[in-house]
Amino acid sequence: MIMQELKRVILTALKLDDWDIKDETLAAQVPGWDSLNHVNVILAVENHFRVRFKPVEVLKLKNIGDLQTLLTSKLQKPV
Amino acid sequence: MIKELGSENEVIWNRWSKNAERAADRDAIIHWVAGEEPFRWTFSALIETAEVLAAMLVERDIGKGDVCAIIMRHNRILYPLYLAIVCVGAIPAVLAYPNPRLHPDKFRQGIDGMSLRSGLDWVFTERDLEETVRPSLEKPDSTIKGVHFPLEWKTGHALTKEQLERVITGHNMVNRDDPLLLQHSSGTTGLQKPVLLSHCAVLEHVKYYGRGIGLNEDDKIVSWLPLYHDMGLIAAFHLPLAFGVPTVQIDPFEWVMVPALLLDAVSTERGTISWLPNFAYNMMADKIADDELEGISLESWRLVINCSEPVRYESHKRFAGRFQHCGLNPLAISSCYAMAETTFATTQTPPGTPPSLLALDRVALAQGKVKIAQDGGQAKMCVSSGKTIAGCQVKIVDENRQDVGERTIGEIAIRSRSMFDGYRNYPEKTAEVLCDGWYYSGDYGFADCGDYYVIGRKKDIIIVAGNNIYPEDLEDVVGKLVGVIPGRVIAFGEEDKKLGTEHVSVIAESDITDDQRQRKLKMNIIQAAMAIDVSVTKVYLVSPRWLIKSSAGKPSRKANKDRILYSSETRGSKSNDYAGIEARHTNGAQVG
Repeated sequence: MIMQELKRVILTALKLDDWDIKDETLAAQVPGWDSLNHVNVILAVENHFRVRFKPVEVLKLKNIGDLQTLLTSKLQKPV
Repeated sequence: MIKELGSENEVIWNRWSKNAERAADRDAIIHWVAGEEPFRWTFSALIETAEVLAAMLVERDIGKGDVCAIIMRHNRILYPLYLAIVCVGAIPAVLAYPNPRLHPDKFRQGIDGMSLRSGLDWVFTERDLEETVRPSLEKPDSTIKGVHFPLEWKTGHALTKEQLERVITGHNMVNRDDPLLLQHSSGTTGLQKPVLLSHCAVLEHVKYYGRGIGLNEDDKIVSWLPLYHDMGLIAAFHLPLAFGVPTVQIDPFEWVMVPALLLDAVSTERGTISWLPNFAYNMMADKIADDELEGISLESWRLVINCSEPVRYESHKRFAGRFQHCGLNPLAISSCYAMAETTFATTQTPPGTPPSLLALDRVALAQGKVKIAQDGGQAKMCVSSGKTIAGCQVKIVDENRQDVGERTIGEIAIRSRSMFDGYRNYPEKTAEVLCDGWYYSGDYGFADCGDYYVIGRKKDIIIVAGNNIYPEDLEDVVGKLVGVIPGRVIAFGEEDKKLGTEHVSVIAESDITDDQRQRKLKMNIIQAAMAIDVSVTKVYLVSPRWLIKSSAGKPSRKANKDRILYSSETRGSKSNDYAGIEARHTNGAQVG
């Protein structure tokens, strides 16, 4: 399940008013989320939630559900 | 300097074989995968595997003159497969693996167009793509004889004497003037122009461009560039393989998601030369975090060559400033002007010198004149793409193809020892651009003190991050949408200073006036573009008959781009005479 806050960060990064984002949604299915913009979305998520993703973690993401899972795991880790 | 091998009848496979004998255990290709140990092909292992694959091709009746499309993701087998195809005299054509957003029908349309134009004979791909590719094969007019899945082939065996003899027989039929490779431009509406290059053209280019950049035994190329692009294929693949120096190959999809990968590879492998399109300088300067630079040393990088997009002064400045503390030598930043039709480079900044700069008067430049700016604040900084490399001649010509001399803007024309053999099966297009040995590039520029500056182009191609996008492709799909007046659409490239490249904008005529329906239409336009793998950043909806027509009766891209971006009626003014239009026109949909 995608957190509303994550969805909002993604939509803001892509300058979208709204879009149906589910666990299985692929980046390629979201308008504006192309390969060039991918790094911007990831940076927006990192900055908003104050987390850092490792390169390999980013490369393993298959869909937005994976991003949510990765984010959740980072947020649960003690700083 | 590496000893220049070769004889008058040498073909490229012989060069690779000689390198394998001369430096058998030296790394040829370092296949880089993030988070894994790189796979290292030595020159001898690469050639041996290519020979095994060549035997498999011969067994499948693949031979001289057959056009072989390779549609594969980043995989270590791709390199020996490419070499094997060359070995038997067939013609490799590396094509982009389809992005998930590209509609399968559009992908097939591209394949079908290539089949009709190039006489595509065989497709080498991955099993995942079989369902997508197979219908192209089954069409009655298809030239495609079969689809192969080389990742499933077993290559870990030695060749029998008979197998080797059959490969040698096939190979011995190849001559220096025969076609070596095909490069296809992107596109889905039959606009692809297959550039055919001979063994001779590529070997000549490797010789002269190698000299131009002072290529030597200590060099190591590092590249994330795709092999379906001339910069990736010629500069970062053919050049090092023919010279016998290593090349590190990074997955383009991985690099664009994690731009620091290039720096990591340069630092780890002590890389010396890379080629990058302009946007990559901005992307790396802006998107790499400080913690990703810990332990990175860029001292070994002696050339970082900007190519395939207009070279932007700001991009170089930001890149140099960002990475100087990692040991980047500012003099490593370099530029070149290149195109597939001349194999690759025609001009290059001499190594160890900065690209020349000219501060030009913006107003004069817009009028096609070269005038040094008096006011620094209003100047347009133009970066030279370097000086002509040996084996090439460059001239600037007017509309009658007459030489205009220095400091006058005109079309750039090139004569080269490594000229292409024309667009395959496209004599009318070839005749348009090739005349008396000169290739007329369609790019505008000027010369100054032996330096060449590229400032624009005659053609309407949009270049986004080094990739060519044909506006016709986009106009075709957008023009079919309900709500858009058929045929009343133009697409164009808009300068994006932040990204250091262009982004794609669309102007479409529509009689929809309702805000909510307009928003829906804009989103439909963006999604239609996604289906042909184009990201549209701005959509301008305008009222019927808003678009200016050219003398040919079609909407003019240039006139309408100027009108929407620069005309006083559309610069956000609320003047009465514009009010009617403004209500229907959006200054950027800002939805993607």
